[in-house]
Formats: sequence, structure tokens, C-alpha cells
Amino acid sequence: MKRSMGVAAWMALVAVIGAVPLLTDDRYLLKVLVFVGINVIIVSGLALLFGYAGQISLGHAAFVGIGAYASAYVTSGLGLPWLVGVLAGTTLAAIGGLLLAMPSLRLRGHYLAMATLGFNEIMYVIFREARAVTGGNDGLSGIPFPEVLGVRMDTPASIYLLVWGTALVVVFLVANIVRGRPGRAMRGLHGSEIGALACGVDVARLKIRTFAVSAGLAGLAGTLYAHAVGFVAPSTFSLEQSVVLLAIVVVGGTGSLAGPVIASIALTLLPYADALIPGLGKDVIAFLQDWEADIYGIAMIVVVVLAPKGIGGLIRAARSRSRAEETG
Amino acid sequence: MTSDSILAVERLSAGYGRVAVLRDVSVDLAAGEMVALIGANGAGKTTLLRSLAGLLKPSGGRVWLEGADVTGMAPERLVRQGMALVPEGRMLFGPMTVTENLLLGAHSRPRRDESVRTDMDRVSALFPVLVERSSQPAATLSGGEQQMLAVGRALMSSPRVLLLDEPSLGLAPKVIADIFRVLKSLRSEGLSILLVEQDARLALRHADRGYVMRTGEIALAGTGAQLLENDDVRHIYLGARHDSRG
Ligand SMILES: Nc1ncnc2c1ncn2[C@@H]1O[C@H](COP(=O)(O)OP(=O)(O)O)[C@@H](O)[C@H]1O
Ligand SMILES: [Mg+2]
Repeated sequence: MKRSMGVAAWMALVAVIGAVPLLTDDRYLLKVLVFVGINVIIVSGLALLFGYAGQISLGHAAFVGIGAYASAYVTSGLGLPWLVGVLAGTTLAAIGGLLLAMPSLRLRGHYLAMATLGFNEIMYVIFREARAVTGGNDGLSGIPFPEVLGVRMDTPASIYLLVWGTALVVVFLVANIVRGRPGRAMRGLHGSEIGALACGVDVARLKIRTFAVSAGLAGLAGTLYAHAVGFVAPSTFSLEQSVVLLAIVVVGGTGSLAGPVIASIALTLLPYADALIPGLGKDVIAFLQDWEADIYGIAMIVVVVLAPKGIGGLIRAARSRSRAEETG
Repeated sequence: MTSDSILAVERLSAGYGRVAVLRDVSVDLAAGEMVALIGANGAGKTTLLRSLAGLLKPSGGRVWLEGADVTGMAPERLVRQGMALVPEGRMLFGPMTVTENLLLGAHSRPRRDESVRTDMDRVSALFPVLVERSSQPAATLSGGEQQMLAVGRALMSSPRVLLLDEPSLGLAPKVIADIFRVLKSLRSEGLSILLVEQDARLALRHADRGYVMRTGEIALAGTGAQLLENDDVRHIYLGARHDSRG
């Protein structure tokens, strides 16, 4: 079954993303879109792990935090170049993913959820208490802007392009993983672990690799976040954020990449709807932001009840409908 | 073990945690032979197949596959060595299509192995109904079709030894007959089959030889005909009542 996006569709996506900073210089909108792009990266990795391989993680916000703090420390603490910070943050998060994969070799379902939840809580305590590195509850500020080859990306437009360029590459790579043999093995593992073992899938290695890649992507997103915002504090990486990330994947649909990417764009934009719709009243925004978690919760219930396969399932259904119409 | 056996199990012990299930189980399978393993529920038949397929690490004994010691080998390596399992309960990939299930069955083989396509055609010829269902999710198939897919998926690894765990369970007699016809044609092509069955009569009628398992041990062994004639077997596993000694 071919569900790949054509070259034309990818080109169109590149064009749309590239056009945004030409069409607007609204700093607020660009900033919001940076958050959206960062979430697209995290959610792509989580869709791989949870949506495809069926391994739950309630610890992904912690991986984002590992990436963010590591990169912040390496650059502003140690004075090393930005790219070193990005590599350090991504690698450290991937190693964290390797460690978190260990319980997944023995635990599944609720037990794995509990183990990863515990991981997030432990990391949260570390972020708050390891003051020498993390700055404790006050966080770390003065994190330098991204800089490659002497070019400093200190404008909203340049950071937007950096984040979305990265997001595009990440989505493209993840799309290739899920379409190929590893993706098939992941979905097999999701369907039946014993079945996958009987087919000769090295399940342990698959889980470890998927956890590492997924956590590494979260870490990469974390490094982008740290340098885009210039400031990191523990609350950004709390368990609550992990729950929100998982909710986005569920709303997007398991076994789908496009669904979760769309869901992450829509749900991240929601509390900042005023960035897109300038006339929107302050009270509406205040309402959306106050009720953000509840809106996510309701979105999840609606999906579970009305469209259990999420946005991805709706896309598949629409596609097979249009294919049926084409063939008569 | 005999020199011509493709699979030889020597005094195998296995269990779950501290619970020992199999004790000193010795079984062998000659090339191109179909051997039935019968026994009551809980006798340890599934545990034996799981140990042979590498899903469970044996605590003692030896397993030889084509003369090589494969004791405790990981499942993905065993599949590459030619051992394939059709697990109890089929364990298909429900949301994935029939074709994807079959392709995943070939996961252990090199990326661009041309013979994967040949094997796909072979499985399609054995189970034509799978062709009709090729783009349907496995979960939407009937019980019989699912069992055929489970066998087909195992064949996609191009095995020399096929381990089957209760393929007839819950199926209509006609479907069972279809599946056994395929198994016998696979045997005639040289595949060696170790068949676990609850339905002892069915298994012993089709198999060359059989083993009777009782509480984790091999209690009896013989040809299919011998076991069908055996009084204990008749009483306990075939439900015979007045037509023997008593
Ligand atoms: N996962 C397991 N954990 C613990 N005990 C098990 C497990 N699976 C099976 N057993 C026990 O092992 C024994 C043999 O079971 P099994 O091999 O499934 O028998 P059979 O396939 O012959 O019905 C039974 O007593 C059963 O309760
Ligand atoms: Mg059994």
C-alpha cells in the first residue's frame, strides 16, 4: 500500500513554509509558529514510538528538557559553539531514550506508562534541584541565539526558518522510516509482539532504537527551544507536558504521521489563535489559554469516541473514498 | 539424536520463572517428516514450541537444528536458521493488511531477496483466498483465513522446520481439511513439520509419528497408527469408552 507523499507535495510544503516570513514580519506570529514547529518535531518522534511501535512514553517532555538544558549549559555555561550544544543535547536525550527503553523490554501497557511517568518525575526533580547546571526553579537565562558559520540567527524570521527547516527534515526522515521495513516491523510489534518475534523481528533492538530516535528528536526540539526562547525553566518539561504531547499523538491517530503533525499544528496554535486572527478578542484568548488543558482533554474524548483512529484515520478513509470514486 | 534428524531435542527443560514446566523432553524430527505432539490442556505443548522457537530460554538440555546446536538462540536468529513458528492464537498483525503480514513474515531475509517474491507467489498458490483478501486488514478475515495467513506468514521466512501450535482450534471441519491438505503438500515438498494438536485423532491420522505429552514429559511415542491403537491414548485422548479392554 503506497501512502507516500509525492515530490510535488513536498515541494509545495517547502514553498509554503518558506513563504511565511516573506508574507509577514509579525514577530508574535513568527514566535508562535516557532513553537508549532518545535512541537511538530517532538510529535513526529513520539508518533514513531507510540503511534507506530506501540510503546507508550509519558516521559517525552523530560527528553525535551534534557536537550534544552544540555544545549543551554554547553553554550552559555561552557561557552562552546551552538552546534556543539545541539549535538550534545540531542545525543544526551537519545542516551536517555536508550535507558528508558530498558523497562520497555520487560514492561508493557500500563506498567510501561508508569515507568516512563516516573522517569519524567525524576528528571523534573533533577531540573529543579541540580541548580549548578539548571539554575533550579529560576531556570537558565541568557542562552545565546543559534549561530552557524558566523551567521547569528537572532531575528524571528531566521529562527522560524531554522526551526521549520529542521522540522521539515525530521518529518521527511520519519516518513521514510515508517514507510520502509523498520516501519513495518514497528507496526507489527504494535499488532503482536509474539507475532513479531515469530517473524524474526529483533524486538529488543527495535524497541531500543525507536526509543533512542524518538527521544533524540525530542532532545533536538529541546535544543531549538532553548536557543529560540533564550530561557529555560523546569515547568516547561513537566509530566503535564508529556501528557499533552501524548494527547496530540492520540488525536492525530496511531499508525499515522500526517495526523499527529496536523494535530500538533492545530493544538499548538489553539491557545495563540490571536496570532492568526488579529481581530480576536482578548477575552476569547484568555478563555482559550485558561481552558487549554480542558480543550485538549475534550478533543481526546471526542476522538476516542467519534473517530478512534484520529485525524490519520479520517485521512485514510477520505483517501480510500476518493480512490473508490475514481475507479467507479 | 539420529544423524538424519533435522531437529533433535535432547532432555530439554524449560519453565516460567521458577515454575518448571518441561522436564527432560526428548523429541526428534526427520527431514520431510510430519510429527504430531498431543496431550491434554496444560501438558506443556506450547511451552515446548516456544522453547524451540527461542521465545523461551530453556533451563536445561540441548536443541539441534540440522546438526547445529541452537540451544537458547534468539528467535530472530532461529528464524534465519530455518525454524518458523505458527504461534498459538495465530498472533497476526490485526490492523495490517494480508500482504503486509506476509511481507513481515519475510523480515528475516535480505532486503532485496528476489526469492521473497517467489515465496509470495507460492503462498498465494497454496491459499488462493489470501490473494482475494490481500489489501484487507488481517483482523477482518474469518478464523480459517486467519489461520491460513498465519501459516503463510511463517512460510515467508522460507523455513525448513515448521512448528504449528493448534492450527485447527475453533475451525470448521472443511477448513481444517483444507489446512491439513496444505500441510501434507508442504511435507511432500520436503518441509519438516512439528504439529501440536488438541484434536489427537486428527493429528495422528495425518502425522507420520506422534508423541504424547503428559505434565511436561513425553509419556508415549510411536507411529500415528500405533498411537491410535494404544489403549491409553484411546481412553484419554480419543474419548474411546466401551470398545477396549474394560
Ligand atoms: N506465561 C506463563 N507463565 C506461567 N506459567 C505458564 C505460562 N504459560 C503456561 N504456563 C503453565 O505451563 C503449563 C503448560 O502450559 P502450556 O505449555 O501452555 O500447555 P499446553 O500448550 O499443552 O496446553 C501449564 O501448567 C500452564 O499453566
Ligand atoms: Mg497450548
